[in-house]
Amino acid sequence: MKKILVADDEMSIRLLYSEELKDEGYEVLTAADGREALDIVEKNPLDLVILDIKMPEMSGIEVLRQIKEKNPNLPVLLSSAYSEYKQDFGTWASEEYLVKSSDLEDLKAAVKRHLQD
Amino acid sequence: MSWKKKNSACSLIPAVRGQYHRPNFQTLASFAVADDNFLYGVLLLVDKKRRKLDTATLKLIKLACLMLAGTIRQALRHDETKKRIAELSGLYEIGMATSATMELDALLERILSTAAKVINARGAILRIIDEQTGMPRVASEYGEVSETSACLLTSNLETAVVSGELPFVATTLPDHQGHLHSYLGVPLNFKGHLKGMLCVFDKMSETLEFQEFDAENRQLLFTMAGMISSSIENALTFRELETLAEKNERMVRVLTVLQEISWALMTTVRMEKILDIILNALTLESGLAYDRAVVLLVNEDRHVLKAVKGVFRKPSPPTLPLREALMVPVEVRTESEIEKLLSQLQITLQEDKGILARTVLQKKTFHIAQAEQDARVNQELRRAYDLQEFVSVPLIVKDQVTGVIVVDNQQSKRAIRDEDVQILNMFANQAVLAIENSRLYSTIEANNRELSLIRERMLESDRLAALSGLAQGMAHEIRNPLTSIGGFARRISKKVGKNSPLRHDVEVITQEVERLEKLLREVLDFSGVNLGYYEEHDLNQIIEDALTLIKRDLVASNIKVAKDFALLPNVHCDDRQIKQVFYNLFQNARQAMDKGGTLTIRTYPMEKSDGLYAAAAVSDTGGGIPLELLHNIFNPFFTTKEFGTGLGLSIAERIVSRHYGQIEIINELGKGVTFIVTLPIAKYCLIKSTEDQEAQT
Ligand SMILES: [Mg+2]
Repeated sequence: MKKILVADDEMSIRLLYSEELKDEGYEVLTAADGREALDIVEKNPLDLVILDIKMPEMSGIEVLRQIKEKNPNLPVLLSSAYSEYKQDFGTWASEEYLVKSSDLEDLKAAVKRHLQD
Repeated sequence: MSWKKKNSACSLIPAVRGQYHRPNFQTLASFAVADDNFLYGVLLLVDKKRRKLDTATLKLIKLACLMLAGTIRQALRHDETKKRIAELSGLYEIGMATSATMELDALLERILSTAAKVINARGAILRIIDEQTGMPRVASEYGEVSETSACLLTSNLETAVVSGELPFVATTLPDHQGHLHSYLGVPLNFKGHLKGMLCVFDKMSETLEFQEFDAENRQLLFTMAGMISSSIENALTFRELETLAEKNERMVRVLTVLQEISWALMTTVRMEKILDIILNALTLESGLAYDRAVVLLVNEDRHVLKAVKGVFRKPSPPTLPLREALMVPVEVRTESEIEKLLSQLQITLQEDKGILARTVLQKKTFHIAQAEQDARVNQELRRAYDLQEFVSVPLIVKDQVTGVIVVDNQQSKRAIRDEDVQILNMFANQAVLAIENSRLYSTIEANNRELSLIRERMLESDRLAALSGLAQGMAHEIRNPLTSIGGFARRISKKVGKNSPLRHDVEVITQEVERLEKLLREVLDFSGVNLGYYEEHDLNQIIEDALTLIKRDLVASNIKVAKDFALLPNVHCDDRQIKQVFYNLFQNARQAMDKGGTLTIRTYPMEKSDGLYAAAAVSDTGGGIPLELLHNIFNPFFTTKEFGTGLGLSIAERIVSRHYGQIEIINELGKGVTFIVTLPIAKYCLIKSTEDQEAQT
């Protein structure tokens, strides 16, 4: 079973994403801030990370930078309420940049795409 | 007196001597003819016979001798008195002449005629030499003066004045026909210095016979000389005073006019008005009163001198004071052919194109007295404008000729004096200041306009940034809950059956969330970052503009700016955004150097593997960024607790990357930070964005 980490400081988002992904048949771990997210990445073999950008302790960009430093092959999807950073960070190091939306089809399609590779 | 007595004795003795030695005289008696003071002569009585004179006869003879002495004395005295009266009346007449007038020419005429008359001469000559130039300062003649006389006198006087020796006193010279002429001269001293000479010539007897001047004449002329020289000196001083006063009066009038003109020139900074005032000043009756005036300005780009306006003299409006008359707008009368022509005058700036071109090229005033005879004058122009005497004055500011003023008196033919040219030069100095002021003012005005435009744009982009910030905040605050509300609603709607009464309720939630999300996207698109307007721009200019915006802050923070700009190819960019980049970098540098320092900006072209870039290095002396903070400086969330430097740099970074450029950072701890912004040059960028578009489709 593929293991996915959902890192977001918003509890409702963590809940929504993990419910939805579990329904899709993935194992889901969650983290409420950047530091916790890095912790989990270090201790668990993961297949994919869904990362919020604005989080306390450590921003998603920094988490992304550290993940890519140690584990460049682990796919990371940025999921942010900010749409305008898409062109700044979307092509930088993450695999995808998804603006948060109640319609989760794009997110699920992206997860599926990156787990197939 | 004694020489007269001796003289008359001399003439007597030879006549007597012949007879005295005759041997047949038997008797000789000698008696003194004398009174108590003088011996006038001796009375000799001779007889062939031998005679004895008795006492009575002797007494009688002595008495006769005494009477004879009395008669002689009377005669001599009469003679003496007559001469003295003549001399006195001569002096009186000279006195009358010298005090008759202060007007030099009339005075000289009277002095010379009186002197000649008193001495019975046919004429008189007077010369006064100017010590500085050695040339005659005053030259006056009376009667028929032969050329020989004039030459003789002048050369004699010149030598005398130079050597300090006395000139000739009396001489006789033949003229070119061989006739003898007599001359009597007397030096004229002014304040103890020999400066001139008076000479009378050709003494005539009452029967018009040629005579030589005698000692008496000389005496009289010497006596008169003192009176003459002092009266001439007075007249000269008077004349000098008069010319001085006249000149002063003229200068006062001119200065008043110039003052009025300068007052009028100061009332405006508008070039058009200034030119009108200049033309009015030159042509108004109460101004400098030239018949015609034209102002030409230099067009440096095209190397030509072009007339702005040309006008003819107009009578001053009688009720207007000069300063108001000066301000009356000048209109070129289209019905006047030559006035229209004047205003269309255009001259290429080459030496051989005539005086006006020379005025510009040689930076000096030309006063042409006779245009037709002057080889330097452009004869074509002369004919077209009927130029005769004219003056061409350069308008010089900071050693640059910005224009030329040309004036003439074509109709009135009034001569232009050196003094007028001097005044024109003074006027030109005033005029050029006003013109320069006007130019500076319009530059300042243009700069101000541009500055306020930049400010406006800055405000606009500030507003956009604020709106964008607000929208971002909203997005974050609203998008998260919307995502979960909508997300869960969708989950519910999937789980409830198609016929469930809940299904409709949940779909309402889903739809409403979708509506809100759409609205959010629209708001973000509007406030968004893709409002850029891309064109080709000079990076150096953009940097200059950004510097202008922050200049005052830099000065206030005691930060010096060092610029080293290279010529760069244009970059394809949104200049407002790139300006924002540098503005942010400068702000960042300013904050890093809160105790002052140097902001160094260097631009240079740079070749990278993928093409040519324009690079700008912005360095501060703020000590550098601590290593632990370095990796986060472009992170927009790094300092989101406050809108501080972090956001500024992240905005800069985003803008630059959107332009396919890079920001590099060179951090030198203890020294400062250098940000190197590289932007692809226009051509390359265009290719790249086309590629990009192609890749997207
Ligand atoms: Mg968050």
